[in-house]
Amino acid sequence: MKRLLEVRDVSRHFGGNAAVDHVSLDVFDGEAVGLIGSNGAGKTTLFRMIAGELALSGGRIEFDATSLPHRPDQRARLGIARTFQIVQLFGGLSVLDHLLVALQAHEGRQGPMRDVLWKGSSTPEEEQRCLETLRLCGLSDVADAPATALGLGERRAVELARALVVRPRLLLADEPSSGLDAHEAARLARVIALARRETGLAVLLVEHDLHMVEAIAERVIAMDAGRVIAQGTFDAVLHDESVIASWLGRSA
Amino acid sequence: MGVFFGYVLASIPYGCAFSLVAVGLVLTYRATGVFNFAFAAEAYAATVVYSELISHGVQRGWAAAIVVCVIAPVFGALLDFGLFSRIAPGNRTAKTIMALGLTVILPQIVETAVPSNPPVPPAPFFSTSFIPVWRIGGDPVFGSAICEVAGTILVLIGLVLLLRTRRFGLPIRAAVESPKLLELSGVDARWVLRFAWMISTALAAVAGVLYQVGSGATVDPQNYDLLLVVSIAAAALAGLRNLPIAALGGVLLGLAEGLVQGYVPSSSIWYPALVPSLPFLFLLVLLIFHPTLRHLEDTIDPMASIEPPPPVPAVAMRPPIVDRTIRRMRWPFLGVVVFGVILFVPADWTEALTEGAALSIVFLSITLLTGLAGQLSLAQWMFAGIGAFTTAQLAENRHWPILLAALAGALVAGVAGLVAALPALRLRGLPVALLTLCLALLGDDLLFPTSWVSNGTSGVPVPRPSSIFGIDFSSVDSEGFFVLTVVVMIAVAGIVHLLLRGTTGRALTAVHASPIGASSSGVQIRRMTILVFMLSASIAGLGGAFYAMNQQTVSQDSFVYYFGPIYLVVVVTIGATTVEGAITAGMAFALINNALMNVPQSVGGTQLHSTALTVILLSLGAFTYAKHPEGIVEYAKRRLAKTVFRAVEHNDHPLVSAEDSA
Ligand SMILES: Nc1ncnc2c1ncn2[C@@H]1O[C@H](COP(=O)(O)OP(=O)(O)OP(=O)(O)O)[C@@H](O)[C@H]1O
Ligand SMILES: [Mg+2]
Repeated sequence: MKRLLEVRDVSRHFGGNAAVDHVSLDVFDGEAVGLIGSNGAGKTTLFRMIAGELALSGGRIEFDATSLPHRPDQRARLGIARTFQIVQLFGGLSVLDHLLVALQAHEGRQGPMRDVLWKGSSTPEEEQRCLETLRLCGLSDVADAPATALGLGERRAVELARALVVRPRLLLADEPSSGLDAHEAARLARVIALARRETGLAVLLVEHDLHMVEAIAERVIAMDAGRVIAQGTFDAVLHDESVIASWLGRSA
Repeated sequence: MGVFFGYVLASIPYGCAFSLVAVGLVLTYRATGVFNFAFAAEAYAATVVYSELISHGVQRGWAAAIVVCVIAPVFGALLDFGLFSRIAPGNRTAKTIMALGLTVILPQIVETAVPSNPPVPPAPFFSTSFIPVWRIGGDPVFGSAICEVAGTILVLIGLVLLLRTRRFGLPIRAAVESPKLLELSGVDARWVLRFAWMISTALAAVAGVLYQVGSGATVDPQNYDLLLVVSIAAAALAGLRNLPIAALGGVLLGLAEGLVQGYVPSSSIWYPALVPSLPFLFLLVLLIFHPTLRHLEDTIDPMASIEPPPPVPAVAMRPPIVDRTIRRMRWPFLGVVVFGVILFVPADWTEALTEGAALSIVFLSITLLTGLAGQLSLAQWMFAGIGAFTTAQLAENRHWPILLAALAGALVAGVAGLVAALPALRLRGLPVALLTLCLALLGDDLLFPTSWVSNGTSGVPVPRPSSIFGIDFSSVDSEGFFVLTVVVMIAVAGIVHLLLRGTTGRALTAVHASPIGASSSGVQIRRMTILVFMLSASIAGLGGAFYAMNQQTVSQDSFVYYFGPIYLVVVVTIGATTVEGAITAGMAFALINNALMNVPQSVGGTQLHSTALTVILLSLGAFTYAKHPEGIVEYAKRRLAKTVFRAVEHNDHPLVSAEDSA
């Protein structure tokens, strides 16, 4: 398998406080990796650096064996998609429009010049692809509804659909199940599994829900206080001494 | 030494006023989340009240000043009670629009209510004010200067004492630190906000009176430009959060202004250009580089993350039947209007309608930038001016055909738009409004008065085209030009409509709702922002060119900066999310203005007041913006559609749904 994402010695300080501290990890093509760790371990910070939202204090990140461009939108167009811990939807747009925005941006078919030259309406192929993704995510019935009016489970599904519609190579999913009930979480897990089977995308999944991690991830990385403390199979990591110590330490 | 002190002394009234206003700005911004653009208007109104009191029987200046100090907080409380407290705490745009509305309306109301501003400077506080009290190195120190310094220090000390009290001060200080904390602590926040408004209105009033009396000039709203810019700069220097820095910054900027004005010899080529522009440039630099301001809209409250911010109210989507009806009706409607005008309307009304069409073009640029991209630009009227002056100069001095010159004007305005777009890339929300306000003031005070732009006071003639594509309409001048302007307006409206409904509209809605969500989806925010800014500026420039052609001349008074905020408020009020909104606004403005202008003198109509009244009429709706951010035209259409739709649905359900699926 080819290495898709390579994170080497990456750090990020906020003031004097190291939120991410010399972290190295790899994600291989088509692989699903779970990233677990207690609150404040630095998981979201790491995601933000991979996505280009936050500058690195040190280290380097490579994607597909080349260094990444700076801005988040450039990285998105290279095939890094993400969902957010706090859902980031577009108030005022319908569910279908969420996918169209992402798809047209990805294909470079977006902007004033296009619209003025009368090429602004969405093509049948674009709509077709959006509808397919909506079906995959179980959102066909609400395609024309304003997305922000949906329930949390569906809003998380919209975010996932928006990420998946461009057929990304790497999906960064930040706690997709947070705030959902077991049923909704299981549905999202199924969607991710289906998408992986169809497009062979790689997934880096931050999750507190260990069932979901077990269901999706082939490999697990545990972080604590900004450092990677263990990695390996799900069982191996859960039985790792430092992981247990860190959890017990937190709950004591 | 003596000269230095002379300059320092001369700058005292300014420094004091800047300092007070800056403190008031920071205080309201932090406590209520409103950047009170209206403070300059409040200061002006207070000064007018002061002079009116004196000319109507209150003999002593100090007595009038005390009366003003009593009225002002009451007015502030009323503002909060009637307007600002009615807006949900998180809705910053609505608050900004409302504050702008107030800025626009207040001076107009004052001018309408007090038609003949006394042409003499308002009386000083004491009749002995201009007697030198003592001398420093040969320079006389007047009683008035001492009054001002003492007054400012007293007010600031009073404020400090007030903020130290448990009952009044503690909640306000808490609000300044963290509105969230205040809310969580269970204090009645409404009351605190009202109190903050009272204080800041009082500060604005005191500053206005000090400024005016100290400068010894006649009362004129224009004099408040400098107060506006420098106080904003002082508040910006304080990062809109630190009260002592704001106070100190005001004094220092006043001093700096005085020293520069004193030391740069008035004969030097720098004097006319550089000296007045310094505060603008300073503010510009601050806005672009001050770290706190760059992230102003992100988080200002250390406790804000305790709860996620309230969701932005989802604007109801437009029922499809509205779109369909408009699509069917617009061409017949336009045809009827155009032919009606050509056949039946007298010439002066045709010109008013043409002006309406030209204004509509400018307003469409606001639709693009504010309605679509969500950027509050106060400089669109300046871009219109750039388009107009370029057109006029090219036609007059280079003898370009006028329509070609107008296109060139649009291009030049577009390039000017780039200048505004680049800093706007790093900023969002309020700082963009401040930045564009600053640019608009620069244009008005520096660019347009220069002789190579406007030929001094005489202005530049602008010819109207007399033929196009071989169609000669010189014999029916006003009708021909009307049709041409309407055609251009329709073309521009078509372009804006394509952008609204196309990929740009969708993407910019996304960016506006969630910038990180949009950029993580691959939307090229920077590129799109720049393009939309430039396109919007060139549309404004084109509109300005047609406006000037209709006037047949353009002078330095044709594009006064404060029409930037006025038009923004008018368009947003009437509807910034559709092209119909902009066109309705443009036509309504020109027609109401013309109607009021035609009111006979005996009933009290004069030109000044017709514009003032138009502005008041059309922007009163700013106060409904919080409830109907889509604008009143759009709101009315949706209501109507709902009613019609319901009626149709009842009688004839299958027909409607068959049409819906078609
Ligand atoms: N913008 C920021 N400024 C300052 N500190 C920050 C910032 N973002 C994150 N931190 C700090 O960095 C640390 C890691 O935060 P991060 O959000 O990455 O944790 P996390 O692993 O995602 O936790 P959670 O499970 O709660 O989402 C925390 O201590 C947090 O307070
Ligand atoms: Mg997190």
